Amino acid sequence: MLALSQYLVVASAMLVGVGLLAYVGALSPRARARAEVRVAVPVGAGGPPVRQPASAVHEAEHHGLAWYGSQCTRLAILMLAVSLVLRSIVTGHGPFANQHEFATAFAFGLIAAYAYFEWRYDVRSLAVVVLPVALGLLVYALMIDGDAKPLVPALQNNLMLSMHVFLAVVSYGAAGVAFAAAVLYLAHPWLASHIPALPSAETLDEIGYRAAVLSYPFMTAFIILGAIWAEMAWGSYWSWDPKETASLVTWLVYGAYLHARVVRDWRGRRAAWLLILGFAAVLFTFFGNLFFGGLHSYA
Amino acid sequence: MSQDTATTRPAAAAPEPKAPRPVRRPPSMPRNAAHKVYALFYNKHFGLFLILAMAVLTLLGTLLQQAPDEVRADATAYQSWLDDVRPRYRGWTTPLSAIGAFHVFSSVWFKAVCVLLALSIVACTTHRLPQLWARAQHPHTHVSDRFFDHAGLSRDREVDIPAAQAFEQATASLRHHRYRTIVDPRGPGLNLYADRFRWGPFGTVLAHTGFVVVILGALVSANTGFKLANLPVTVGTQSAIGHDTGLSVEATNFTDSYYEDGQPKDYASDLVLYKDGARVAGKTIRVNQPLRYDGVTFYQASFGTSAVATIADATGKVLFKGGIPLEWSTQDEANVFGKTLLKAQGLEVYAVGVASGGSDPEIAPGQMRFEVYRADSTEPVDTRVLDQGKPTVVGDLTLTFERERPYTGLRVANDHGTAWVYLGCGLMMVGLIMTFGLRHRRIWVRVTPTDTGSRVRVASPERHDITFQSWFGRFTDELAPAMGERPTKTGV
Repeated sequence: MLALSQYLVVASAMLVGVGLLAYVGALSPRARARAEVRVAVPVGAGGPPVRQPASAVHEAEHHGLAWYGSQCTRLAILMLAVSLVLRSIVTGHGPFANQHEFATAFAFGLIAAYAYFEWRYDVRSLAVVVLPVALGLLVYALMIDGDAKPLVPALQNNLMLSMHVFLAVVSYGAAGVAFAAAVLYLAHPWLASHIPALPSAETLDEIGYRAAVLSYPFMTAFIILGAIWAEMAWGSYWSWDPKETASLVTWLVYGAYLHARVVRDWRGRRAAWLLILGFAAVLFTFFGNLFFGGLHSYA
Repeated sequence: MSQDTATTRPAAAAPEPKAPRPVRRPPSMPRNAAHKVYALFYNKHFGLFLILAMAVLTLLGTLLQQAPDEVRADATAYQSWLDDVRPRYRGWTTPLSAIGAFHVFSSVWFKAVCVLLALSIVACTTHRLPQLWARAQHPHTHVSDRFFDHAGLSRDREVDIPAAQAFEQATASLRHHRYRTIVDPRGPGLNLYADRFRWGPFGTVLAHTGFVVVILGALVSANTGFKLANLPVTVGTQSAIGHDTGLSVEATNFTDSYYEDGQPKDYASDLVLYKDGARVAGKTIRVNQPLRYDGVTFYQASFGTSAVATIADATGKVLFKGGIPLEWSTQDEANVFGKTLLKAQGLEVYAVGVASGGSDPEIAPGQMRFEVYRADSTEPVDTRVLDQGKPTVVGDLTLTFERERPYTGLRVANDHGTAWVYLGCGLMMVGLIMTFGLRHRRIWVRVTPTDTGSRVRVASPERHDITFQSWFGRFTDELAPAMGERPTKTGV
């Protein structure tokens, strides 16, 4: 069963790679030109919709490259979900106990968050930033030790482990989408002329904010749960452990971003840079175990 | 639908009530200064600067190795610690130490930023609360025609039914969507203000208050109660907790077990707790299962081996009987050692054993080396390797090494701040959910009669909020058929 779980991770990585190529192809100006020729003029509509989707052309192009990109992404999410469930059945605990498991879950959260925003906001261009990060995480997960290991005493609290890390997965996934929106927002002046399907800078700014607004409460919740668990296991709700402090840095950066949005001269580019900094802090918190020890050294 | 225009152009800001300007006297100098300080603290730029400053300091504390509190408390130990990290930080070691970079989280910088941030939050909240209250309880119901032209979201349509009927239907529809509706009697036409989740913005007050409560809770934790980072209790012995608790803890058993690959599986200590000599509690504690009694919590923190010994003076009077936990290891990690202090005699007795996996040609299995020091000297008075059960004279003392026994290392805490921190965390979570999940939605409706029916204008200042934008579109779409929409000639 564990082998099957691993095969599913490999298959997911391949699907993410293929999906990424499909999205890149769909966003290229040449593909856009072809798609626009095929779009039929709608008749009988009751008037212009409130919101004109940025990639409305893709909606008409039911089986174009972008459609395949979406399907690959959705299939990858399904496979990763099955892989994580199988792993949980084998190990008897939530699949969040080591770097391999969390990297896989992180990639799952990232792709799932992207799929949600694609569905909710109909913006597929985010994929060209989100999917490479997810692919990198999956490749990393496959390169490191993927053996199922039993829990060390500190982690033997299945409920807390599952809740604490699951919330982190959701939070980090949404943070990845916010990062993608911020990258595209900053690159918008250069990309807009080359990628007609790129949403407006305002839409990207809004998506970045929405993703951060989704990420932040989950981030707060998992840090709080971590504190409660730390009090239970280590005797103190806060020990200034490097992983704790790194997550505090991340939380403060996103907190700064949310406040920057209401400070006049910080809106826009500066706020977008904070989202990029925030995701860098997320990655630093995750990979920090490779170079700092502390109480989270097993994670 | 006839005329159905949606706009997403840059919106005019929501109109705010124009309060009558009070006539004030110029403030006196101290009041003026106080107001300037207050204004600084509720300034959003200043708040943002403090958040970023805290992030930078926290990052510094994450990247740079931090000296443990117990090391910093001992000047010699701290100097030794600095020498250990000097190869890593080279010439920067001394300057970094001087500015407190090796104890960032207890440095004056970090404490100052925490205090300033807390003050900034209090000032911001105090400043904002009346505005939130006014917006929730006394909303600005009247808007100009220009607002409908420039609002972030707006719909403008003509319908067949009379203005009064259209107005009534718009009101009913908004109420159906759980909007509070307030009729504005001022013209032109019939006017309605509607809002939902007007208490949502108060979530920011809760969230920010929660953060301040967390900081206060941390202060309470740091300055009240007590913490014993590692209380070693040899199996079969009792240790007093002190701190006027009257508590003592006995370890009756300790077990450590491992998986086949050598990874730790379980650490369990059987504890019995006594208060003023009477048994009050007992539990097998594990890493995630502490023992709690009367505000004091006992956590499984570490374990090791103790040298159980009896120490008597020249007259045969027993000065010490119990376990000496071998808590520390030598720099070469070949030996482990522990000590006990004989205060009245001004002596320290060290027990030195062989570390797990280490070797010492002087100490055979079953033996223990004892070193006796004067408390003010680093030169041993006498050193002997003892066999089990053989009383031996070491210096002026008679030592009997009984046997080795495991000890369990307990972390003991009486933390009065934890409850406050959790309360603050709870407030933060409720506040965040309210702020981001229950955003204050405001809609203005104006219905004016026309030759053929009425003109209905619906607008909201919400900008770039795709979720609300979609709802607004659906809502106005639903509204149209109910009012008997008809084709018209122009759009806005």
